[in-house]
Amino acid sequence: MKNPLIKRVPRELKSDWHKYLVIIVFMVVMIGVISGMYVGHDSMLAAVYEGRETLNLEDGHFELSKRASQSLLDDLSVGEMADVRQYYIDKGMKEADKEVAKAIEENLTEEVNNAIEEAVRAQCAAYGITDEEMIKAQVDAAIEENFDEAMKEARESDEFKKAVEEAYDEAHEEVTKTVNEEWDEVADRYSLNVTDFKPVPMTIYEHFYREEAEDYNNDGTEDANIRIYKSDSTIDMASFNEGRAPKLDTEIAIDRMHASNVGVKIGDKITVGGKEFEVVGLLSYANYLTLHEHNTDLMFDSFGFDVAMVTPEAFKRLTSRIHYNYAYQYETKPEDKVEQADYSERFLKALITQSLVHDNEIDDYLPEYLRQATNFAVSDIEGDSAATAILCYILIGVIAFIFAITISNTIDKEASVIGTLRASGYSKSELVVHYMTMPLIVTILGAIIGNVLGYTVFKDIAVNLYYESYSLPSCHAVWSNTAIIKTTVIPLILMFFINLYIIIKKLQLSPLRFLRHDLAKTKRTKARRLPRWSFLRRFRLRILFQNMPNYMVLAFGVIFIELMMCFAFGLPDSLNHYADNATSMMFTEYQYMLMDYRDDDGNVIETKEATAEKFSMKSLLYPKKKSTMRTGMGSGGDESVTVYGIADGSEYIKLGGTAGEGEVYVSSAFAKKFDLKTGDSITLNEEYENKSYSFKVAGEVEYDGSIAVFMPKENFDKAFNKKADEFSGFFSHHEITDIDEQSIATVITAEDITKVTTQLDHSLGGIIDIFKYALVILAAALIYLLAKIIIERNEHSISMVKILGFKNGEIGALYIVPTAIVVTIVAIIGFVAGYYLMLWIFKAFMMQMDGYFAFYLKPVSAVLSVVYLLVGYLFVSAIDYIRIKHIPMDVALKNVE
Amino acid sequence: MEECFLEIKDLKKSFGTGEARQDVLRGMDFTVKKGEFCVLLGPSGSGKSTLLNIIGGIDTPDSGYVSINGDKLEEMNESQLTMYRRKHLGYVFQMYNLIPNLNVKENIEVGAYLSDNPLDVEEVISTLGLQDHKYKYPNQLSGGQQQRVSIGRAVVKNPDILMCDEPTGALDYKTSKEILALIEDCNKKFGNTVIMVTHNEAIKNMADHVIKLRDGVVRHNDINENKISAFELEW
Repeated sequence: MKNPLIKRVPRELKSDWHKYLVIIVFMVVMIGVISGMYVGHDSMLAAVYEGRETLNLEDGHFELSKRASQSLLDDLSVGEMADVRQYYIDKGMKEADKEVAKAIEENLTEEVNNAIEEAVRAQCAAYGITDEEMIKAQVDAAIEENFDEAMKEARESDEFKKAVEEAYDEAHEEVTKTVNEEWDEVADRYSLNVTDFKPVPMTIYEHFYREEAEDYNNDGTEDANIRIYKSDSTIDMASFNEGRAPKLDTEIAIDRMHASNVGVKIGDKITVGGKEFEVVGLLSYANYLTLHEHNTDLMFDSFGFDVAMVTPEAFKRLTSRIHYNYAYQYETKPEDKVEQADYSERFLKALITQSLVHDNEIDDYLPEYLRQATNFAVSDIEGDSAATAILCYILIGVIAFIFAITISNTIDKEASVIGTLRASGYSKSELVVHYMTMPLIVTILGAIIGNVLGYTVFKDIAVNLYYESYSLPSCHAVWSNTAIIKTTVIPLILMFFINLYIIIKKLQLSPLRFLRHDLAKTKRTKARRLPRWSFLRRFRLRILFQNMPNYMVLAFGVIFIELMMCFAFGLPDSLNHYADNATSMMFTEYQYMLMDYRDDDGNVIETKEATAEKFSMKSLLYPKKKSTMRTGMGSGGDESVTVYGIADGSEYIKLGGTAGEGEVYVSSAFAKKFDLKTGDSITLNEEYENKSYSFKVAGEVEYDGSIAVFMPKENFDKAFNKKADEFSGFFSHHEITDIDEQSIATVITAEDITKVTTQLDHSLGGIIDIFKYALVILAAALIYLLAKIIIERNEHSISMVKILGFKNGEIGALYIVPTAIVVTIVAIIGFVAGYYLMLWIFKAFMMQMDGYFAFYLKPVSAVLSVVYLLVGYLFVSAIDYIRIKHIPMDVALKNVE
Repeated sequence: MEECFLEIKDLKKSFGTGEARQDVLRGMDFTVKKGEFCVLLGPSGSGKSTLLNIIGGIDTPDSGYVSINGDKLEEMNESQLTMYRRKHLGYVFQMYNLIPNLNVKENIEVGAYLSDNPLDVEEVISTLGLQDHKYKYPNQLSGGQQQRVSIGRAVVKNPDILMCDEPTGALDYKTSKEILALIEDCNKKFGNTVIMVTHNEAIKNMADHVIKLRDGVVRHNDINENKISAFELEW
């Protein structure tokens, strides 16, 4: 015979359908979204990883100042380090030999000439010739006649031979000594003195590119910087989301994301490097999933930066300089990050030494695992999955507690039935199973419907969310084991154990205590004493104490939702705040960086612009602790710090005090990011040299634009061994027109500062609003469920006070006001906690990234984030009031079940 | 009737400590034979419900023992006690304690499910006169009807002992007599031993065995040679 108690389950579902509907919808949405995210992520990542294989993603690349010779490429392919010391010695010897030979020749010539002159003068004196002109003529004639013979004689003399030998020995000795000294420093700097160096063999691909100005609306102004590769490249190839690769020299394929952002479609004409091209394809390069122009950029920029593909012929026709970029792939793939780091370090040694001995220079070197453009999106997708899963578990935990409270309430209500069943011989485990059935059924239902939606509707939402931000290849849904485990198994386990614990604890009591309704764990001998408040206030307080567990869950849920609310309001606020303050994040309207402080003729560059002020600048590194947050985002290295040398009494940067030698002022961004205070010591390192500089923080300069330190120019020159007339660029209020464009490296304007926020706003803008409303609904659902339990628990009392003559309004005030007070208080507490948590999370996240971006919340948003939640609660209160109104008076009078 | 089915030996039970200590059972001894209709009679506080609970294995004595068919309850652990209740006892309380979202038939099936040898549910329903109400929910029934269901739930198990704790306490005179008649019928028809706790003196007349309790001890332990049927009772 089947246990007849099973029949209660569908009836319970039917009779309390609205409660279970809310819970199921809640779970379906949660599980659906997370399952969708996982399926979307897994599909997306599968497409990315597949692309890495099929599109031949590099293991890294380097750029040289000029085209590499075949012998350099051959040597690099083997991966061996070059013997730089020997190279320098050989080179030095050759030069020294030349110098010594030249010096000997000059010396000998002079000595022979002097000997001849001396002999002629002696002869003239013997003949009594004193006319100097005549003597000089005689000397010249004698030199002309005897020089060669004399030279020959001199060269053959033993004395000369000995002197020459000594000179060569001395020069060689000097060369070896100097090279050894220099080598020790260089070797130390790059750790090149390794005895057991293991070469990393690799295949090297030519992967040249040009950078041109892109004018996508053909209005004659530059809209973006476009990096162009050739269509015949066999490394870092592209997949085409739309269209095809260019075949004609007038055709171009550009990045899908950039095209979508700036509104370029297939068939459109765009101007690149002054030449018109027809867009025939929208692509996604395997090595540009995000459009990071530089690896140290805080954020990618799919508006102002683009990557493209043209035919080799069209590439030739372009005029900007070719970047001699070479991509490589290791012959044996590294197995993990540690091995990747080891390979890249070993290769760097080979690259530094080989490029030196082959007379070339490294402009750029970046192993793939540190490359933001390939890893940022993957890391973001993986990170989002983890974050969503945590959110999901927290919410399922909340649901499990709501269930547990509901069941605990039901057990209280059914105490005498449970007592009777236990007295009749039902075992505890049979009752535990009975009361566990409902939460498990609801979870399974939620998981099934949620997963179905996840694989269909929500997957596309997740995929589209990433397509809106990243240049990802097309993907198709793949079966995700992770999704099933995380959206079905884990919620079931959570639901199972939380409910099991509470139900077992609750059913621990003896049948007799159930029969007597004696369910309190601890018996209070006296009622809790309350202050001498009005009766109604005390009544409310009693309700509050009676429902403490419900209010605890409610508080937890509301605080959690407020945390999310803080994020939903704070992120757009922070972006807008950053964009609004972009101009104040610059020292001035124009900041010119020069290629060199002297022009081609060696003259110091000057300007007639009255507001121009010289400054010196240098980039150093501030050591950063390894972050445990997402890897793959940020350049992965130490923080880059810009060091400024400022003119005395600068109009643009006010140091706010004097800075002695070894003292610096730090930017407010630097101080905030690394908690620096006046009096602290900081050590900054050179990137490719083994040099460190220590400074004492003398104060702070209010500047959130970058991680920077400032010092008077005089101190700067001293610290970095610069000449007094050396400088790096100009600050100016007005455009400077009298400096040759060739001499200007970059001009920094407000647009450069705001590109980060433009990108973030585009990526997140739409979803944030939806998120806010979802939170309000979530909050309302949560409060609805818990408020319902509180009212159900008090049905008997509510019915009784109705009989006593209380009006519905008064009863509402008694039973709704405590909830309202709790909701308001915890919403405010939740908001404050959320605010500080966000500050912390932002900071922790920023430690991983390069640069600084502060969390900011407008006062009105602070109010709104609480008000939104209270609006949600207002709806619930209205429902509660109706519910109270509908409680009949006979509930208190009936003795029947 | 067989000899000594239920034995109560020197049963003591008290609640509270110190000055608040209250001795509810102060050494109680009696035996009940199988199939006997035994009434435990006494005023409020005489210890009759506590005694019933101890016999039912849902409460424990401080000393003394209860033995059923030679098995001492004090030697049983919790799960053995559950099995004892499951296999040998049927409970009827003053409050009916029916499951609100199960209908009459299903509420009776709740009892049948527990038994290895249950009675036919339909037959029990018919005996209880609930044929016309078997698909009704408890809140659609009168108090008397609900108590019938509660009796049905207990007897359908075909228990060795039917424990009834003031089964007519919440019912009117007429309904009470009907319920008592029903218990009497079941006792006759199914041969269960019935132990009924009541403070209603009149009920003793329908019992085989009347035990009067006062202040936690047995004051009278009488066999009723002239029992009358429930319908003949008057109070």
